[in-house]
Amino acid sequence: MCIATVILAGITQASLQLGLGGLILLYHNSLGRHRRRKTRYLAKNYIIGSCAITFLMVCALCFLIGNFFSGALATEWLVICVGIMVASGLIMLLLYYRKGRKSTELWLPKSITRFIQRKARTTNDGIEAFSLGLLSSFAEMPFSLAIYFVVANCVLNMSAGWQVFAIVLYTILTAVPLVILKIFIKNGRNAVEAQKWRVNNKVFSKLFSGSAFMILAMFILAFWVM
Amino acid sequence: MLKKKAKITYEYSSDGIKQSILRNARGIGLPDGWAKQIAKRVASDVDKWIEDKEIVTENDLRKQLIAELKDLCPDLAYAYQNHDKII
Repeated sequence: MCIATVILAGITQASLQLGLGGLILLYHNSLGRHRRRKTRYLAKNYIIGSCAITFLMVCALCFLIGNFFSGALATEWLVICVGIMVASGLIMLLLYYRKGRKSTELWLPKSITRFIQRKARTTNDGIEAFSLGLLSSFAEMPFSLAIYFVVANCVLNMSAGWQVFAIVLYTILTAVPLVILKIFIKNGRNAVEAQKWRVNNKVFSKLFSGSAFMILAMFILAFWVM
Repeated sequence: MLKKKAKITYEYSSDGIKQSILRNARGIGLPDGWAKQIAKRVASDVDKWIEDKEIVTENDLRKQLIAELKDLCPDLAYAYQNHDKII
């Protein structure tokens, strides 16, 4: 059950769009200024940054739960997480994308999106790309924090060997869309094509994210709370 | 010629337009020769459009660029149109 929860949580987090949008921006701006090889290097660092924050967040929360919640989250905390996930699911379905526009603009504070856009335009070296990846994943925290708590709680219920495997699996799952985009562009496509695909399938991604949050919430409720 | 953005007014530069188009064209993987041709043609068309204007906004200039690019390279026009609508 623990691994199933981790997989479901990984898929849910992978459906968040900010990281993907940040990588598309980075690709487009970097290809305009650098050679393809350098752009690939920057994109790789961006993905590593995104993975690093996910990995570290789960580890930090494992430590927090292990030391301050006596090894596992109490049912009340899990119910709060379920509530946040249901609310996130509804937000995904109704508000996540800005309405009435043929774009993938997200309902995030303009200051954050402008900062990411500016950074994506000016990123020149690996460490900047790494920090941009960190930042993009960190900016999704209002939606992903409850998921991180649930995953950390699951991980702590596993045996030591499985704990590392579960955290790594979760981290890899969250990076799958970024890796797919990297392969897409490596195969001769460009950022505009990727963005057009995102715009055309906006309703699908909205439904997918919303449903994933709801299903994860129900799953936690059924197998961890009751 | 001047262009205005967020209450700051600065000089219009044809070369700046060319560089911007070249950057975006490389961003979508257009071959260099084609990108240079597009940049040259669009910059000269925008130069003509701006000639009789005393002051234009950044937004007007962008709209004009998009209109010029739509026929030559729709993907490039899309990149300009949506550069701030990705996230």
